[in-house]
Amino acid sequence: MPVAASAIYFLNLRGDVLINRRYRDDVEGNMVDAFRMNIMQTKELGTCPVRQIGGCSFLYMRISNVYIVIVVSSNANAACGFKFLVEAVALFKSYFGGAFDEDAIRNNFVLIYELLDEIMDFGYPQNLSPEILKLYITQEGVWSPFSSKPVDRPVPNATLQVTGAVGWRREGLAYKKNEVFLDIVESVNLLMSSKGSVLRCDVSGKVLMKCFLSGMPDLKLGLNDKIGLEKESELKSRPTKSGKTIELDDVTFHQCVNLTRFNSEKTVSFVPPDGEFELMKYRITEGVNLPFRVLPTIKELGRTRMEVNVKVKSIFGAKMFALGVVVKIPVPKQTAKANFRVTTGRAKYDAAIDCIVWKIRKFPGQTEPTLSAEVELISTMNEKKSWTRPPIQMEFQVPMFTASGLRVRFLKVWEKSGYNTVEWIRYITKAGSYEIRC
Amino acid sequence: MALSGMRGLAVFISDVRNCQNKEHERLRVDKELGNIRTRFKNEKGMTPYEKKKYVWKMLYIYMLGYDVDFGHMEAVSLISAPKYPEKQVGYIVTSCLLNENHDFLRLAINTVRNDIIGRNETFQCLALTLVGNIGGREFAESLAPDVQKIIISSSCRPLVRKKAALCLLRLFRKNPDVVNVDGWSDRMAQLLDERDLGVLTSSMSLLVALVSNNYDAYWSCLPKCVKVLERLARNQDIPQEYTYYGIPSPWLQVKTMRALQYFPVVEDPSSRKSLFEVLQRILMGTDVVKNVNKNNASHAVLFEALSLVMHLDAEKEMMSQCVALLGKFIAVREPNIRYLGLENMTRMLMVTDLQEIIKRHQAQIITSLKDPDISIRRRALDLLYGMCDVSNAKDIVEELLQYLGTAEFAIREELSLKAAILAEKFAPNLSWYVDVILQLIDKAGDFVSDDIWFRVVQFVTNNEDLQVGNNLVEMNMTCLSFTMTIELQCFIFLSCQPYAAIKVKEYLDKPSIHETLIKVGAYLLGEYSHLLVRRPGCSPREIFNLIHEKLPTVSTSAIPILLSTYAKILMHTQPPDPELQKQVWTIFRKYESCIDVEIQQRAVEYFEMSKKGAALMDILAEMPRFPERQSALIKKAEDTESDTAEQSAIKLRTQQQTSNALVVTDQPPPINGTATVNQLRLVKVPNMSNSDHRSTDQQLTHTDGMLTVVDPELPNSSADLLGDLLGPLAIEGPPATPRDGVPIEDALALATVGEQPNSVQPIGNIAERFNALCLKDSGVLYEDPYVQIGIKAEWRAHQGRLVLFLGNKNIAPLVSVQALTLPPSHLKMELSLVPETIPPRAQVQCPLQVINLRPSRDVAVLNFSYKFSAHVVDVKLRLPAVLSKFLQPILLNTDEFFSQWRSLSGPPLKLQEVIRGVKPLSLIDMANLFYSFNVTVCPGLDPNPNNLVASTTFYSEITQAMLSLIRIETDPADRTQLRMTVASGEPALTFELMEFIKEQLITIPSNPRPPPPVVEPPNIPAVSLSDPVAMLAGLM
Repeated sequence: MPVAASAIYFLNLRGDVLINRRYRDDVEGNMVDAFRMNIMQTKELGTCPVRQIGGCSFLYMRISNVYIVIVVSSNANAACGFKFLVEAVALFKSYFGGAFDEDAIRNNFVLIYELLDEIMDFGYPQNLSPEILKLYITQEGVWSPFSSKPVDRPVPNATLQVTGAVGWRREGLAYKKNEVFLDIVESVNLLMSSKGSVLRCDVSGKVLMKCFLSGMPDLKLGLNDKIGLEKESELKSRPTKSGKTIELDDVTFHQCVNLTRFNSEKTVSFVPPDGEFELMKYRITEGVNLPFRVLPTIKELGRTRMEVNVKVKSIFGAKMFALGVVVKIPVPKQTAKANFRVTTGRAKYDAAIDCIVWKIRKFPGQTEPTLSAEVELISTMNEKKSWTRPPIQMEFQVPMFTASGLRVRFLKVWEKSGYNTVEWIRYITKAGSYEIRC
Repeated sequence: MALSGMRGLAVFISDVRNCQNKEHERLRVDKELGNIRTRFKNEKGMTPYEKKKYVWKMLYIYMLGYDVDFGHMEAVSLISAPKYPEKQVGYIVTSCLLNENHDFLRLAINTVRNDIIGRNETFQCLALTLVGNIGGREFAESLAPDVQKIIISSSCRPLVRKKAALCLLRLFRKNPDVVNVDGWSDRMAQLLDERDLGVLTSSMSLLVALVSNNYDAYWSCLPKCVKVLERLARNQDIPQEYTYYGIPSPWLQVKTMRALQYFPVVEDPSSRKSLFEVLQRILMGTDVVKNVNKNNASHAVLFEALSLVMHLDAEKEMMSQCVALLGKFIAVREPNIRYLGLENMTRMLMVTDLQEIIKRHQAQIITSLKDPDISIRRRALDLLYGMCDVSNAKDIVEELLQYLGTAEFAIREELSLKAAILAEKFAPNLSWYVDVILQLIDKAGDFVSDDIWFRVVQFVTNNEDLQVGNNLVEMNMTCLSFTMTIELQCFIFLSCQPYAAIKVKEYLDKPSIHETLIKVGAYLLGEYSHLLVRRPGCSPREIFNLIHEKLPTVSTSAIPILLSTYAKILMHTQPPDPELQKQVWTIFRKYESCIDVEIQQRAVEYFEMSKKGAALMDILAEMPRFPERQSALIKKAEDTESDTAEQSAIKLRTQQQTSNALVVTDQPPPINGTATVNQLRLVKVPNMSNSDHRSTDQQLTHTDGMLTVVDPELPNSSADLLGDLLGPLAIEGPPATPRDGVPIEDALALATVGEQPNSVQPIGNIAERFNALCLKDSGVLYEDPYVQIGIKAEWRAHQGRLVLFLGNKNIAPLVSVQALTLPPSHLKMELSLVPETIPPRAQVQCPLQVINLRPSRDVAVLNFSYKFSAHVVDVKLRLPAVLSKFLQPILLNTDEFFSQWRSLSGPPLKLQEVIRGVKPLSLIDMANLFYSFNVTVCPGLDPNPNNLVASTTFYSEITQAMLSLIRIETDPADRTQLRMTVASGEPALTFELMEFIKEQLITIPSNPRPPPPVVEPPNIPAVSLSDPVAMLAGLM
């Protein structure tokens, strides 16, 4: 069942309505006040993305400094609603040139209304693809038929596009240089106990693609995943190559991927849309290569002193390095002062988030820098409140490393004109919620 | 404040103010808190300036609502700083962040004390403010003497002494024993001689608090207060800065008069005289002027003076002067003054003989009812309600009714309730009452609660023979001597019921009327339309059509009433009208399948009953009288009187007037007692139809044999009708039946109670209640119209725990309640404290511990007394702590029994007696009787089926558990005599038990408990010597 959204509201952080569009008449215009009163002005904000007040459900998410709220009065598909929101935001971003915030909305009222009319009809999501929408919702001026210059461009025909066999790609594209960029982006989620045993660990990955290809190319992607390899060896009746194979869970493809061929041959073949898109998503729960290990020791010495020792070990190839590593070590609220000794990077105490923040800009593989800190606490009135010891959090990016071990084996491009293409492939691993209890 | 010197603080505050949302603010505050923590931690490097700055920041953060749980130490330490800016922040932050329970305050006490006793008066002020603000026990104990010293010291500046007086006031409020009464009262009096008005005002505040707590110690201050007032009123020696718009220190005047109101009387004639002079001057000198502030001040003084006048019970002249003044106020344009005038006039009603004077302003008050300001209208309504009595009721109620049409919705409900109450209380005659209420329902149907129309129905039903009004009758009597026209004659004999019926019919003739009016109309026409039959347009069919055309418009709650009306009309139609009957039957048929069960039941029953023809006459006879009760309306008004402004005046009056409310209706005594009982039964226990005049139709229907199913339901349904008429009213009546198992004759006793309120008669037979309680553990011990004593007992071995439930059944408290137990020598009793007063409609529980020392048949007595209005009631009640309560049943087998029986041989351990004059009982009944006092019959031990063998265990403190055995031999030929043998290990027990059982057998309670599973005496076959039974026989 689709969303059946009754209305969409765009609010700023104070709760003022920036833009709204009502698609159905089954909710009152003042329901957004209920949202403001009962969600935005309470502590519950941000705890649960779906809330029900007065017979309506509010699906909301915050993007930079804007809240987007979908109000539904029926039993709607919440996941669909959120997917719609994410896609809509991506669409807006592609229209606004990257930024989506309060100012961008204020500067593009007319455009947003136009888009809102187009992407949803009577509460049901419609076409959200930027490529197609940009054909007829343009930001440039439209030539008047009475103007002196004749129109030299053909009027874009969106209907043909949307209803055609390859709805996501226009015919007759031509590029001087035919290029394909393929990014594999993985984020690692980890929860580790203080003794070093893994409590929860998974990798969610995305294959992002950017195509600048002429004509109607047919692409074929080969990964080192288990099923694909097995199928291939079966077909070609030769033994499976030695090497690591990856088991992918929960794979989702972009609509351009030919699923019948994937089901029969287990190959990912597709006619790509023009420009940037997300080819596939996957999740891996087993055989994850963790990029970092954290060994914390935190000792509370009496009421007013604490000793913190944290050792971070990088366990990827020595030639590789991680960028933008941030280790946030939580300390009690009454921390007054902290003295640090670090082997690399910089550390400071951030009172706003009650953490010691240790930043290492470039972190080579197979090294283990340490931080040791002496924390002084101030005595407080209510001594009994014990410290809850929240987990240590980490942020990082490791280029050319995949936590899952996924590799692109081949990317073949076939077009009837037979031009040559250049393929660029990148890997990157980021931290999702990378937490170590201490 | 030297904020300008603290840049960091200013920057921080502007940062926080510039934050766009709460989240940013929190981040900024957390950052600052971290910074402050860091600074506080390395204290060595902190200058006093920095310390001051950070403590200010801390205070600012605290004021924003964040939790600040550190830095108190720094704040407290700033108190001892030598310079003013630091000291100031120290004091301010300490008094904001800390409360009296913080340990940190101990650190500060000494410094604070040094500041207080020091010479620097700025510091003294700071310290006094802190002490006043925090004012904990420790501060009070250690600093109160110093504070007191400052107040009376002559060397301190008035400013400091002022603060000290206020500080002491705060300490006193927290902890009243800081002010030592003996030592302080003289000084207080001395303080009132102060010339400086500032100090005097503060001391007066202190005095108000002190005298409110205990005025006795401060009698010496009274003349001084009068003197102060005199000085102010005469405007002597008042510095310019203490006059406010030409009024000398209104605050001090108000406070002084407030203080004077705490003293019960002013005895000293000279000060009384001068006080009245002053009051006179205030009353005379106050007038309404243009300036708002001046008005406020002068009226504050004036109204305080008014309440002082009321308090002092001044001469009537002065009072009337006050009323005249208020009368002037309620005519003023300024709404605030009008409001105050009305409010104070309502308060004035409390003073008894002022009503007449207030009544002079009635016209003006009625004008206020149309004021644009709703609060003024409410006050005017309250005042009118309060001042209403028999003489002006007619005017006022009519005025209210008129106003009802235009009043807005917010006030209508209150208005209609009050109009209804007034109409009920002060009705000169019933026709007027009926007129008023019908008009009320017509005008404000939505706001007329059910109580109001129930009440009309009650009145009309209860006053069948009553002439239209006493005064009318009198008038007519005088007229009679001159001429006697036919109309007049009709008028005299036009009783209330047809009058009401005619009136109602007039209303029903209108095209659209409110549903409540339809309900009243339907009910009244159903009951009394037959009285109108001879009039034009009042034939049964016309009446029926009139009512029936309203049927489609009413809700389900009204339909049952309409159905009853149809049935009644049908019944009254003599000779029967087949057309009408058919019509009515169609309606009943239609509703036979109604989803609403009440409607359905009525339809079915009325349909069946209406087939009976003439018998219907008896079944659907006129409704009997309703029992007289306190009006639910008045009670409702009492309940809703939470409005402080209404004051007790109105309550006072309702209490006064319950007695004369509708005296008319109370007079005619019920035709006979049983009728009243019957009504009560109908209300409370609808299923019992035991009345006299019902019994005829019962017999009648029973002889028919056909309607036996319907008949018991008839009173049920009519009781339902009564029930929904009376639902809320039914609370008040004395309970119709005593709880359980007490014979029905008790209900007869209660019928008389209402008629003789002067001698308090117990309800029910005390002796029978006692006997019943001897056999069970809970029930009612005593009941009269005012009080009910319930009892609940638990017995364990030789101990018992009784709980007495003393319930006040009335709306007035019972006072001087006393309960004393007079235990016999064998019982040890401890009654917990019985409260002196039992509040209205409350129940008090008094546990009572009983310990049995040794066997005895004597009975404990409870001496219970209380006072209700003029009656003093003193009753002596036997408590059901009898011998049998300390028995526990035990079932013995043959061997156990015989070994015991044998070991106890001959007197005094074993006694035998032939008892004559026993009430004849079958063996099974006798066994049940034994069970009821905890003696077990052991079956099969005696070969003779006419004999009983029983056993029990007796507990007392001396004997502990003691087995007792009983054998009864009866003579089947003559059941009035039997031979009893009792055996136990204690001579006294044997004797007492024997006597106890004897008593029980001779005077058997009228209703023994329903039989528990009882053992049939089995038939024992052949007897041989080896048989234990035979052995038993031999032993005897």
